[in-house]
Amino acid sequence: MIYTRLPRLVLRETSFQESHQKKDQDLTEMNREIDLRGLVCPEPVIRTKRLLDDQDTQKIEALVESEVNVKNLARLARSQNVSMSCSNEGDFYRVVLTKGEPSPRTELEELAIKESQKETNKNRVGTVVFLAKDTFGQGDPDFSQSLMNVFLQTLFDSGHRPRAILLANSGVKLMDPEGSVLQVLNGFAEAGCEVLACGLCLDHYALKDKVPADQITNMFNICEFLMTADRVLTP
Amino acid sequence: MSEKIEYEQRRLTSNIKAGGCAAKLGSAELSKLLARIPSKTTPELIAGIGNFEDAAVYKISEDLAIVETIDFFPPVIDDPYLFGQIAAANALSDIYAMGGKPVLALNIVCFPTCDFEEEVLVEILRGGADQVEKAGAVIAGGHSIQLEQPVYGLAVTGLVNPKEVFTNGGAQPFDKLVLTKPIGSGVALLGMKAGMLSEGARNELIRNLTTLNSGALQAGRQYEIHALTDVTGFGLTGHLHEMAKASALKSRLNLSSICILPEVVELAQQGLVPAGAYGNRESFNDRVKYLNKVELEWEDLLFDPQTSGGLLFSLNPDHAEQLVEDLKDLSLQASIIGEMLPLEPNESIGAVEVTAN
Repeated sequence: MIYTRLPRLVLRETSFQESHQKKDQDLTEMNREIDLRGLVCPEPVIRTKRLLDDQDTQKIEALVESEVNVKNLARLARSQNVSMSCSNEGDFYRVVLTKGEPSPRTELEELAIKESQKETNKNRVGTVVFLAKDTFGQGDPDFSQSLMNVFLQTLFDSGHRPRAILLANSGVKLMDPEGSVLQVLNGFAEAGCEVLACGLCLDHYALKDKVPADQITNMFNICEFLMTADRVLTP
Repeated sequence: MSEKIEYEQRRLTSNIKAGGCAAKLGSAELSKLLARIPSKTTPELIAGIGNFEDAAVYKISEDLAIVETIDFFPPVIDDPYLFGQIAAANALSDIYAMGGKPVLALNIVCFPTCDFEEEVLVEILRGGADQVEKAGAVIAGGHSIQLEQPVYGLAVTGLVNPKEVFTNGGAQPFDKLVLTKPIGSGVALLGMKAGMLSEGARNELIRNLTTLNSGALQAGRQYEIHALTDVTGFGLTGHLHEMAKASALKSRLNLSSICILPEVVELAQQGLVPAGAYGNRESFNDRVKYLNKVELEWEDLLFDPQTSGGLLFSLNPDHAEQLVEDLKDLSLQASIIGEMLPLEPNESIGAVEVTAN
């Protein structure tokens, strides 16, 4: 009753079962291999659960297509106190679930934590522009400052949108409403790019009142951005 | 065998990878993509995409504005009449979330006439029409195309007084947050598809999915509402983050007071978590701060994309308990789920703090 796929997939699965029947018999009764590729969620997790529920099953090797399937199986393993490992085999994943030797719960918790950290990082990838001074390189101060203006304007006009522009030390002066650079920084912000200035630095240069609260950040956040970016530009 | 195949072919949710609001594009993905599209605005547009509002509001005169929204998705349930009802309730909700009254709706239909009988489409449309009628609006037409995967929804126009528009922004520090429906519909729908939901739980799910948010809005209007949204595809944390962000505050959720649909904790524990929940986690995880230990399945429920979810009010704390009482009188499973708080120095705007107590 819970088959929910179109005939194409039903046929595929039937042929799979036929071709693997022999192999299944060759394997020890306790070890099961199951190909769940091509099945629509939640079928992969249901079928794995059904195999796990079978008392004879000791170990399951499941082939799944997507990361979502892997995450779902990780939760299943956690709830059933079964150890799980996973390897990426190119365009699919091989998930091994082993009964009998339940890995300590903490290990599975770690798997879940790792997963959420990974996701946080994934959210943070991309290019980050880090401006820790208000000049573009070092040289004649006035010239270096106007070069910074030219750089940001050119970057904006080129259509590149970094994930974030971080301002620290004298770089926060670029946020001064009386300066000439704020306009282009606002342009980036409006385009969805995070423009953030170090709060400590704003304090030091007496600019904190002139910058909106949601554009003020701290060193912790700056570190997070820098450590998780694909690329950091510091002109 | 052939008989079985025919039966399977008629199942609406066959081969649907993500139904309901779980089919929505991820917020992170969408923001990145939209940032590349030039956008213009006009002074008459008093609410739009800026703060991820539920619907657009266009001011026509000092006391009249139109509210526009569109919402559609693939089937979440095999019963076509219920699918129509759920999709329509979900689309109409965006009008209520802005404080508006729906007046006009247009059908949006994608339907493979080769795979399903005509009757199926009739039932879907009848489900939608019944809800639109209940909302006091009319269906004025629509658009339909042949497509491999069925899709149904509505474009809805509503009316509102521009001075009485509710948005994500405007919440005040120490406001209480009231949610008018239980969460967990993404997980429950997946559980239903898996055949793992009991009949009682299924009925409770359907009752919630088909309930219009009109009654909840009407109840809320009696009190001092500061901000309002409906909880849909981005999950409870996603929508709460948008509200706190637009109001330049942070929010705190109290897990023990959040109502959930029956059986969803067990289902989430066993890995019946829709892909959209992982997408929401990806988009909003760095906005959420757990003040004490929260079980993974509860995290998943907070990120779970909701279809036809409840209204989320941010209101004067003195009025919250009375509002919950009024909502309960409407047979809504409402509760005070948390509060809005001022930002402490160095805290990030829009943060969602979660406490298990």
